[in-house]
Amino acid sequence: MRFFTPEWAEAARAAVDAGPERAGKLPTYWNWIDRARTGYTATWALGVRETGEYLVLRWKDGKCAEAEITSDPSAADYVLAAGADTWRELREGADPGRVVMYRQLRLERGDVLAFFRVIYFFVESLAALSRLRTD
Amino acid sequence: MTELTDVAESDLRGIRDLDIDDVLAYVHRDLKRLPDYTELYKRYLRQRWDVYELDFSQDVADWRERMTQEERDAFVGISAGFHHGERQVEVELPVFMLGGSEESKIYMSSQIEDEARHTVFFDRFYREVVGMPGDSVQEVLDASFEHVSETFVGPFGLLAYQADELRKDPEDPAARVRYGTTYFLWIEGVLALSVMKITLTYCRERGFLPGYYTGFTATCRDEARHVQFGMRFLRDSVQEDPRLLLQIHETLRTILAINGAASRRLALESLGWTPEEVRRLMIRQLHMKLTDVGIAIPPDIREMVSRIEPELAGG
Ligand SMILES: [Fe+2]
Ligand SMILES: [Fe+2]
Repeated sequence: MRFFTPEWAEAARAAVDAGPERAGKLPTYWNWIDRARTGYTATWALGVRETGEYLVLRWKDGKCAEAEITSDPSAADYVLAAGADTWRELREGADPGRVVMYRQLRLERGDVLAFFRVIYFFVESLAALSRLRTD
Repeated sequence: MTELTDVAESDLRGIRDLDIDDVLAYVHRDLKRLPDYTELYKRYLRQRWDVYELDFSQDVADWRERMTQEERDAFVGISAGFHHGERQVEVELPVFMLGGSEESKIYMSSQIEDEARHTVFFDRFYREVVGMPGDSVQEVLDASFEHVSETFVGPFGLLAYQADELRKDPEDPAARVRYGTTYFLWIEGVLALSVMKITLTYCRERGFLPGYYTGFTATCRDEARHVQFGMRFLRDSVQEDPRLLLQIHETLRTILAINGAASRRLALESLGWTPEEVRRLMIRQLHMKLTDVGIAIPPDIREMVSRIEPELAGG
């Protein structure tokens, strides 16, 4: 499966919808994430800066309903982008919380406070889609 | 008052003998009056200290021979937050200096230097005492990152994104107030002072880690200037335009909403702190700033504050 193809986008949708492996972290942490996710309706666009392509993930009532690859993320509520190096580091196991803390994934458009209100849900979604096998 | 005069005037040698509670009282003493930016800058010139003068040789012996594994784990678990925190507030501050009055900019140059020095302090502690590997400042940070809990990752990340937002228009009053709420009120006024109180009380009661005690107590005295600047900035902003109070509220809603998430448990009991005591400490730190500065909060935020999780570092 190639990175940033329609096939990968669908696998990413399924992965974030299922969420990451829950072992190794406190149940109360996952409870927080479940609460943040309940009823969540928003669209994230996650881009690669060098190619200008975005993975768009549409959340509707807490389900990740749709995914696509596009070069026009204007319909998304939150448009984020990282360099290809950061995406590679994530696929190689970099801590997604660290990627956020170091602002390696920049918020190009969208309300910062509203985006951060579900930040660990976002971080764990980023973890889930980064772990997909790609070649 | 004598103790507080000692706090204001001690050199690094004298700081070692100060009680951390007197330094925390010194942080809060001026909150009702709030000195202006020029006065804070003058104070900085008198109070700055040399981080390379600290001697960690007794700390190394205490760390290896006198502290238990449990105590070391808890200590790293909580202080790693500010190993990274000092760096974060250092690198995200220059964008704030681009806006505001000339007096504010002059003062800001001193805070940027303080935060850089605090970053070096933790770099030395983690390298020389804890023994984390790394040739560069970044490598030592990378070695301690796994110990940083969500309590810190969330607010530091929020600050990073707010700094990026401020970069687009450094004079935007609403963006400055949102940034200032995260930086001066929450990260410095609540998180930093809580980590100081917990780790420094432990050091003082047990007689351990004199180098850490001296450097982080001097850091706490610097923090008095930072918090007083920040509270002055927030108070003046709201006095000038009362609508900005809503920006403080919205920022606090986000911070308090994410404060409860912690993926790991950290037993602070080995440092002498129960979760309930940590909870009360954080609430008190937040209340003191809000009431002394006269920042009114609506019932929903008061409710969120009273629910502050005990898991300062996830436990
Ligand atoms: Fe600092
Ligand atoms: Fe500070």
